[in-house]
Amino acid sequence: MSWKETAEPVLTRMPGVERPEGHVPFRRKLAWTGGILVLYFFLTNVFIYGLASGGGNDAFGQFRTILAGGQGTVLQLGIGPIVTASIVLQLLGGADLLGLNTQENPRDQALYQGLQKLLVVVMCVLTGLPMVFAGGFLPASPQLAQQLGIGLTGVRWLMFGQILVGGLLILFMDEVISKWGVGSGIGLFIIAGVSQRLIGGFFGVPGVTANPGFFYNWYTIIVGEQQLGAVLSSQGILNLLIEPGQILFLFTTVAIFAVVVYAESVRVEIPLSHARVKGARGRFPVKLIYASVLPMILVRALQANIQFLGRILNSQWAGMPAWLGTYATSGGGTAEPVGGLFYFLAPIYSYQDWMWFLGTTSNPPSMIIGRVFVDLFIMVVGGGIFAIFWVETADMGPEATAQQIQNSGMQIPGFRQSPGVIEKVLERYIPQVTVIGGALVGLLAVMANMLGTIGAVSGTGLLLTVSITYKLYEEIAEEQMMEMHPMMREVFGD
Amino acid sequence: MSSGQNSGGLMSSAGLVRYFDSEDRNAPTVDPKTVVAFGVLFGVLIQVLNAVA
Repeated sequence: MSWKETAEPVLTRMPGVERPEGHVPFRRKLAWTGGILVLYFFLTNVFIYGLASGGGNDAFGQFRTILAGGQGTVLQLGIGPIVTASIVLQLLGGADLLGLNTQENPRDQALYQGLQKLLVVVMCVLTGLPMVFAGGFLPASPQLAQQLGIGLTGVRWLMFGQILVGGLLILFMDEVISKWGVGSGIGLFIIAGVSQRLIGGFFGVPGVTANPGFFYNWYTIIVGEQQLGAVLSSQGILNLLIEPGQILFLFTTVAIFAVVVYAESVRVEIPLSHARVKGARGRFPVKLIYASVLPMILVRALQANIQFLGRILNSQWAGMPAWLGTYATSGGGTAEPVGGLFYFLAPIYSYQDWMWFLGTTSNPPSMIIGRVFVDLFIMVVGGGIFAIFWVETADMGPEATAQQIQNSGMQIPGFRQSPGVIEKVLERYIPQVTVIGGALVGLLAVMANMLGTIGAVSGTGLLLTVSITYKLYEEIAEEQMMEMHPMMREVFGD
Repeated sequence: MSSGQNSGGLMSSAGLVRYFDSEDRNAPTVDPKTVVAFGVLFGVLIQVLNAVA
């Protein structure tokens, strides 16, 4: 008996959100999307009941931008569990260990969907428990423990319950948006967080936001409250490019926007013609960023989980050997690795991590270069590998795509009409384009992090935001076309 | 064409979590309004508890 029969009764009974019957009008879709977004922002401002004042330090550290949610709030877990569960699924699916045919078999589709949900619940528990019970991530309030008479452990369980509910809410909110709204909830939560930071980075004013923004800095420079110094001296150039001028950050942010929007339009087009209807022609685009930027989240989440493990080890294990990791507490109260294996595995978050000539890091240049190379290696190679897995599990590979083209009655002109032949042609492009695209995105993310971005949104966060927004735009355009011509719904198979 | 969550022509733009059309009828379903209502009530409850404590 395979695992399928054993697991079927559980996996097919995972609760889900109802599917709409028939077409949902575009306005209604926007309303659902907007409503969920408001709920999301509300919940990121609800702090956990039983949390000691002072808050504790963020378990996700600098990865918070891409994992959404908020430190100390009921959405503490953010999309972390969903991403981690997805990594497991991608690895299992990419190595073809699941044996599920999600393209044609409805039973396998139901199983896949159930497995996906079950894994998210498991990951919510697995990441939630150490956050509450280990380390100083979420300190429990001693006053409340006394007041309720349940001890600190009791308060911790209460807190764990809240972040677990928050994690599951994220999953269901994503499902509501996927079925009733526009785009996906996860994409929306990422761009919501990054956009908020970007706006803070541009328009922030002291007193309202934590750091003054780009425009406020320039206002103070022009008024004369801050001095740049002589622009031709080395200190003057640094002031202009980094703080407080931030010209370099502005440049990186704009460059990433431009590169992603341009790369979205770079594609190899495979001509198609209809087998029976003469003159009906089409093209199948193999985009440079074929697997989208989403596999990048998976690589970053892998790094985030490794760093999370390092922080737990550091807080729980007093005799941690120096080769594994030595930690120093930074100004923000978060312990950051300064040596050992965890230092080299930590990605470069900002210019402060590598510009040794500024004195922002005390590590010797040789160590810094080592860390940069490890980060580049993980992102470029990891980006390529996860892109391949992504294409396989998302049914975007040559075999699945050939079947889809065949089913739509199209063929490649000049070739026999058979899925095998189409697959052969697609195999010339899809794997190569996928790997190149994945590696390119990895390279961009590392470079953006090294140069810095406005609002410190991180390279991956910015890449994700731009490409998700682009996809969202395409989807909205398609929706509107369907609203205008009800006939189009049949074409798009609604 | 009924190939999964594929509504955008041939290119499937799957999110991190994929949902298929063919769901098992045994699975209990929740109304999306219930999800939103639960989220709001949960948030308000925690806020009230925080205010009382």
